[in-house]
Amino acid sequence: MSAFNFETASRQSAKGIIVIFGVSTFKVLRGSLIIFAALILKYFSSDKFPNLLNLKFILIAVGIVLFFLALATLRYLNFKFYVNHKYFFLQKGIFNKEEVSVSTAKIQNVYIKQNLLQQLINVVSLSIETAGDDKTEIEIMALSRPKAQALKSLLLLSSNENESKATERLKETVYFRASVKKLVLEGISENHFKSLVLIFAFIIGLYNNLKEFVYQLDLTSRFGSWFQLDGESVMTLLLFNLSIVGLLLILAFLLSLVRMFIQNFNLTVKRNSEGLEISKGLLNKINLSLSAHRIQNTTIITNRLKQLFGLYKLAFTQAMANKKQQQNFNIVGLGKTQISELLQQFYPNAEERLIKNKPSKYLMIRLLVRSAIIVVIINGLLAFGPIIVFLVNIPLILYIIVNANFAYKKAYYHVDNDYIVVGGGQLIETTTKYLEIKKIQAVSFNQSIFQKRRDLASIVIYTASKSLTIPHIDTNIALSIKNYLVFKVESENKDWM
Amino acid sequence: MALFSNIQVNVNALPKAEDLDLNPISPKYFYILLLNICIPFIVLTTAALVLNFFADDSNIQSVLWYGIAAIFIMFIISIVLGYLGFKKRKYAIREKDMTYSHGYIVHKIITLPYNRIQHIEIARSFLARKFGLSTLKIYSAGQSGGDISIKGLPRDVADAQYDFLTKIINERV
Repeated sequence: MSAFNFETASRQSAKGIIVIFGVSTFKVLRGSLIIFAALILKYFSSDKFPNLLNLKFILIAVGIVLFFLALATLRYLNFKFYVNHKYFFLQKGIFNKEEVSVSTAKIQNVYIKQNLLQQLINVVSLSIETAGDDKTEIEIMALSRPKAQALKSLLLLSSNENESKATERLKETVYFRASVKKLVLEGISENHFKSLVLIFAFIIGLYNNLKEFVYQLDLTSRFGSWFQLDGESVMTLLLFNLSIVGLLLILAFLLSLVRMFIQNFNLTVKRNSEGLEISKGLLNKINLSLSAHRIQNTTIITNRLKQLFGLYKLAFTQAMANKKQQQNFNIVGLGKTQISELLQQFYPNAEERLIKNKPSKYLMIRLLVRSAIIVVIINGLLAFGPIIVFLVNIPLILYIIVNANFAYKKAYYHVDNDYIVVGGGQLIETTTKYLEIKKIQAVSFNQSIFQKRRDLASIVIYTASKSLTIPHIDTNIALSIKNYLVFKVESENKDWM
Repeated sequence: MALFSNIQVNVNALPKAEDLDLNPISPKYFYILLLNICIPFIVLTTAALVLNFFADDSNIQSVLWYGIAAIFIMFIISIVLGYLGFKKRKYAIREKDMTYSHGYIVHKIITLPYNRIQHIEIARSFLARKFGLSTLKIYSAGQSGGDISIKGLPRDVADAQYDFLTKIINERV
């Protein structure tokens, strides 16, 4: 079938040594970052710089490099794989030998990835995901791209054989490619608060690592001398804080933009009869296929700014994919018509059947009550400050009221013979979730004591990935929706995967 | 009913989960619940009392007394909620699915169709063994929930349900 023979045990590309060496060096460097920092610090404080050209140092460095190189070579030599009788075999390990065999029927997905190093030496890595546990990690570090493609199609072909051989194969065509302009617009219209949180997490992490270092540099006393607390200093302090906030916001904005580019650079979506093929990434190039029968739920996400630009994000969740992988099933920068087309492919006729049923106004009330609690807490903290800071309440309360209003305005649900659609969002974001009834695992009727007083309940629908909630609807409607969904799952007895 | 478009089935004629006759779990399970609530509180109170005994500062002592009072109030609330929650722990087996209800503050009634069961399991903790109880766990492929875990079933009932469900799963294929 292909030019490559996978039946006999073969090693990966010899470049694999470089990749294994690179990856393990990177891991060691990252792990010992703190030690290096501590060492440097020690020399800083003792004023004695070691002579790095000293023979002793050079020998140690060369020894370490040689050791890792030897380790990488041994790993490479002991790493063999082959495909035989619909089983994929993998042998690895230098001292602890390990042999893994996976039935190709059980293979859930095959990813082709390429990190920076692999891009430089022009190889790709191929990892196999199986149903069941997350622990068995099968990854071949270095293959040439055509060989990886051939292996991928061989592995996936035998797993889908029974269902897709009969149907005529749609020729694979490039359906969508995100232009640089689109990515810039996407980056600009991201939720920058998320980036801000990331920056804070980074700073806190860094601070924890370098606590000693910061302490020794004696920053507080230096900063302290900048501000002598006299009449002018309050103003200076305020300005200083404001400029830090401004700086952080700009940083957050840039981070959103950079993240968008790194994750989605050259995003390409190909469409075929079984689903989609997504490839993207700048530093880590990734290529994955999304088959229709394994999609669990689909979410369309946009916000006010993105809507203005005509940008929508489609997020799929797949069964049996781990959390990290799940993020990769996102397609950004889609237009409205493309969203409709893709929905039509995975959820035929769902959009035109949509009837928006409203949940109870309790949804808004609950959000208001919850926000009110937060406002009370914030005011409790503000009580220690000057009176002027209470002005914060005006925009805060305004935001809360408008936000709750929109949360209610955007909420709706729809149930028909095949699909469940739930719309939601708040002031800025809008989400629409789609789910096929046959993908349901279990249905739960949830009623809190507050809902009970208003004769309301929520329905939670569990799938093999995320769960979907229809919030705050009349008890009777909730019960009949639950009965209906359970009845559909039991009477039709369709496969969920 | 305007809720479902293109309707094929009369929703009102569907089997109703709310009319189910739910079976309570074993009353003995309440003792386990009580023990599970009591033990941490006893430990906390003893710790507070010991601290109180050794503290010489009267300020610390008064704070500790407030602490003990707060712990006691929490304890009473936990017991009341535990009892109310215990009353809600019920289950039912139908021809094609099983239902489990639990929770007082948020009452949840989850229904899991048999054709979605992945595997089943019986677990018996140390305390449960002393009371002759078992926990029956039924797993679906749900990743964010969707599993049922019926605690406090008498051992023979749990074994019988386990056999019943195993038979159904085996016949399914």
